[in-house]
Amino acid sequence: MSAKRYGMSIDIDKCTGCGACMVACAVENNVPPAPEGANDRKGITWIRVFRIANGAGKTAFVPVLCQQCGANTPCVSVCPQQAVQVDPATGIVGQMPERCLGCRYCMAACPYHARYFNWWDPEWPAGMEKTLNPAVAPRMRGVVEKCNFCHGRWHAAKARAAAQGRRDIDPADYVPACVEACPTGAIQFCELSARPDGPGGFRLLEKLGTDPKIYYHSQRDWVREIAAAPGGKEKARG
Amino acid sequence: MKTTRRDLFKFAAGGAAGLLLTPAPWRLVTDTALWSENWPGIPRPVRGELRTRFTHCTLCPAGCPVKARCVGDQPIALAGLPGRPLCAFGLSGHQLPYHADRVTEGDIETVRTLVSKRAATESVAVLDLRPGRTASWTYRRAMAALPRGIYLAPQSAVPAVNLDAVKTILSLGVPVLDGWGTPAKVLAARPHFRLIQAEPMESHTAMLADEWLQLRPGSEQALAEALAGQGGGERTGLSAEQIGSVARQLAQGGALVLATQESPAVIELNHRVGAYGQTIVARREAAVPPSWRPAAPTTALDALPDRSIGVLLIDESAADVYLPWTALESKLAAHAFVVTFASSRAGYGRYARLTLPAPVFPESSDDCVPAVDSLAATFRLAVPLVTPPRGVASPTQFIAKLANLPASNALRERADAIHAVGRGTLQQYADSRVVSIKTIKRDEFWKGLNEGGSWTDDAGGKMPPLEPLPSAPAVVAMSREMRAARGPMPPLVSKLYRESNLRVRT
Amino acid sequence: MDREFIARGVKRCSTGQFVAWITPWTALLLFGLYSAGLCLIKGLNQTNMDNRFAFGLWIFLDLTVIALGAGAFFTGFLLYIMKVKELGAVINSAVVIGFVCYSGAVAALLVDVGQPLRFWFTFWYPNVHSMLTEVTFCITCYLTVLLIEYLPIVLRNRKLREVPGFLMFEFELHKLVYVLAGAGTFLSFFHQGSLGGLFGVLRGHPFAFREGLAVWPSTFFLFILSAAAAGPSFILLTTWLVSKISNKRLVRPEVLPLLGRISGMLLTVYVLAKTIDTLIWINRTSPGAGFAAWEYYSWKPFGTWILFAEIVLFGLVPALILLAPGLRARTNWLVSAATLSCLGIGLNRLVMTLQTLALPTLSFDPFLSYWPSWQETGTFLGVVAFGVLVYSFSFRYLSLFPQERELKQPEAAPAGEPVLAGRY
Repeated sequence: MSAKRYGMSIDIDKCTGCGACMVACAVENNVPPAPEGANDRKGITWIRVFRIANGAGKTAFVPVLCQQCGANTPCVSVCPQQAVQVDPATGIVGQMPERCLGCRYCMAACPYHARYFNWWDPEWPAGMEKTLNPAVAPRMRGVVEKCNFCHGRWHAAKARAAAQGRRDIDPADYVPACVEACPTGAIQFCELSARPDGPGGFRLLEKLGTDPKIYYHSQRDWVREIAAAPGGKEKARG
Repeated sequence: MKTTRRDLFKFAAGGAAGLLLTPAPWRLVTDTALWSENWPGIPRPVRGELRTRFTHCTLCPAGCPVKARCVGDQPIALAGLPGRPLCAFGLSGHQLPYHADRVTEGDIETVRTLVSKRAATESVAVLDLRPGRTASWTYRRAMAALPRGIYLAPQSAVPAVNLDAVKTILSLGVPVLDGWGTPAKVLAARPHFRLIQAEPMESHTAMLADEWLQLRPGSEQALAEALAGQGGGERTGLSAEQIGSVARQLAQGGALVLATQESPAVIELNHRVGAYGQTIVARREAAVPPSWRPAAPTTALDALPDRSIGVLLIDESAADVYLPWTALESKLAAHAFVVTFASSRAGYGRYARLTLPAPVFPESSDDCVPAVDSLAATFRLAVPLVTPPRGVASPTQFIAKLANLPASNALRERADAIHAVGRGTLQQYADSRVVSIKTIKRDEFWKGLNEGGSWTDDAGGKMPPLEPLPSAPAVVAMSREMRAARGPMPPLVSKLYRESNLRVRT
Repeated sequence: MDREFIARGVKRCSTGQFVAWITPWTALLLFGLYSAGLCLIKGLNQTNMDNRFAFGLWIFLDLTVIALGAGAFFTGFLLYIMKVKELGAVINSAVVIGFVCYSGAVAALLVDVGQPLRFWFTFWYPNVHSMLTEVTFCITCYLTVLLIEYLPIVLRNRKLREVPGFLMFEFELHKLVYVLAGAGTFLSFFHQGSLGGLFGVLRGHPFAFREGLAVWPSTFFLFILSAAAAGPSFILLTTWLVSKISNKRLVRPEVLPLLGRISGMLLTVYVLAKTIDTLIWINRTSPGAGFAAWEYYSWKPFGTWILFAEIVLFGLVPALILLAPGLRARTNWLVSAATLSCLGIGLNRLVMTLQTLALPTLSFDPFLSYWPSWQETGTFLGVVAFGVLVYSFSFRYLSLFPQERELKQPEAAPAGEPVLAGRY
């Protein structure tokens, strides 16, 4: 099977900030409801939609998830016990919560703040554990987790392909939850190696040299200026 | 040779050193790691056969089709159909039955006895917060069967909106882009209309609207009145130019005015901008069995004399627009008995004497009203995916029993009536097949509906006229926050509120 | 009551007074254990760390005490390898301080990680590219070295010496002292550096990221230099403090100024290196990543004053004081300069941890602030209490200052009086 490089193309102009992607991600990946004491700084949201404003009454929404950095992957090089690896078959940066010590060095290293720590043990109200997705293991407290492009779905697609005697997966079988849920189609999943010119648009913090695989698009100049700019230039919510 | 203390020490030291060469201590160390990986208290997801079931979402009047991925019979993930995605509420609705704050207990039998006794002599009113369902017909029939039964609803009729004809929307606090209509249709039509959002706070819709008019709190009606030529614009906090600009935009045709409360000013304004017949249109209702026809009409709350209702039964299980409690309270007699059927005490449960547990999506067996942006009548079942817990009462069955209506499957009867008329098509979601109902038998039609199918009326033909003013309906919808505050919110949606700033207002 | 355990020829306070001294520290230690226990049992939600402040008070504490505890390896290096004989007066005390600092840091780390039971994963699945792997290995080895260096000091206790086995063991161990000193220096060099490398490699935080030599960023070398500079200052400070609290002369008058001079020289080199590094960072490294350096200092309270404070106020000023023989000879100046130097190193560690994390990277990040919770503070204070207790017991029952016996009690010597000047 040929190696693939999966990425995403996100159209900021289409995002309405509805949050469906955030909810679908939590459903798919068995992320628990907010514990007592959770807030936006301690919560687990593998994909998070930020709001940016141009100060003149215009708003835009930017979904940010793990950028699956392809070069100088910050989290992979810093993990002391190799709990993070880049999967050569898909280009996905995979986190192994079972190996994670919880030192949070990778969280300090990630410039996109895409990694989340389990400050609490996950807890679901009585009966709600029946709604957990069996394809994804719930994590325990004290470990780091992050988006993995719904790797469980990729495994399921591979199994389906294998059952049908194919080597390559059917692209329609592998769609991450957020892509599936987005009502406007703002988030598109794509296979970067099939697009040699790249999907166009801009990437976040490109000058850091992390080669992220999430490409953002917008027709609005102010959006491009703010979103691509580094370091807190714009007071925004998110 | 005597064994000395030194010998014992030597033995112990040697034994310890030797032990290190065995797997024992390393195994113990590994076991601690294994224990930390199988941390007690972390639930293990149930494995089983994966199945797909179809139903419709009842969390809002859009009634979007739902494709449920189930392990055995338990839904573990909900998704929409291609081109008809679910919103954040729908995506996590399958977790609602297990909400920690859900009402699960209530003494139904005692309530039944009490209400039956009082129904003989006092007036009984049913407040239906989602009129237009088959259950609504059951309530109307029940109230007709009672000696002094009254059917109340926030609206007399639910009109339809022709999104294709809409060019300008003035929304007085209605979350047009954030939970109004069928979200997928509204977003698809978005490029073709101009949205003016008038509300005090910059809501999500206001952020995405073409224009946000920051009103003084509580002045939405004043704006409607001002635009309808009744003066009072200064109460809104807007300048005369702003109001004039809005008036000009609305006068260009294809206008629609939405509000959170039905009011004469809003109706008058819609009439002035020519919405009726253009953007607000009538919709033929799906057929009902002829035996249902003698049913109580909708009584307007204002038409009731004060202090006249002895028993008030509220169906909050499917709630869209809430009437203000103060308005209801004035119509209640002294010592009135108020019972609400809800899954949360945060709605009318704050005022009612009792809250009886009602089924919650995806437990409820109900039908979905046609979405406001649907021009044709539809009949879609919310097929229950999960059995409700013991002790949960269906308000429809309770009220039907109260009025001694013949036990029947109202939904089946309705389906048969629709089939008898012979109009329309049935779409099956599993394979996207669309068939005319003339080509299928009655039982097949019912089976198809129960497998998650949707009947849509034919377009064209004779439409009922829009009711003449002043009782023409307004298009009324509650703001999402107000709706969400009443019901149990799916935990992963309230998580959005707590763990991100996405839903925090400026 | 415990006279037998106290070394001959030195006076220690009565048992009652000693108990009165250790009681509040024991109480603090118990409170610290309780706080740490809460964090271990209930989870790290007991702290105020969050997804942005993945590192908080404890990591800052770890970095600082390890830098200050560098006196142990550096004094050993100077004494046994470079043969600076005068430092024999403080080597034992330095070892105890080192032991206390490192064991306290390791204890805090075990509470800091989310799954302490998995601590051995780093040893079994090491990532050779990670600075933290290097830190883990090195610190563990060095703690072992310190333990081995501490053991002879303990075994030389008046009562324990009476056990012939212990005496023999200690004697044999002493033969290894050069090996231990060499190993300690080698290991310390690497982990002090790697602790700096932890932040210097953070490509995602251009505030911390530095270029350097091969895989080692400049912070690697800067941390080694600053630790080597802070170590002697901290030894100086603690010796002076212990001397003041116990009201005894513990070392000959020329020892403290010597420590000050060593610290001053290294501090000067460090300030020079740091200035050059900062200039390169401001003009090349940070702009290269798309971040203008002045922006970092536009977020209150981290204005440019902090850079000035770190390099000049707490760096250049104490360096110059410690280099001036006249000022070094005056205890007040000496101790103040040593304090400033230690505070400067602490400030540097604070900047590298907390300021790095507070600063936004994405354009829509907010600037966030962090304040430790009482559980975190309690654990930190518990570590401090642990250190004070171990040191107190060591000071009472072990011979930490070999020169103490020959020195007279201080006779109303007024503060600030210049002592004999020498070639210091």
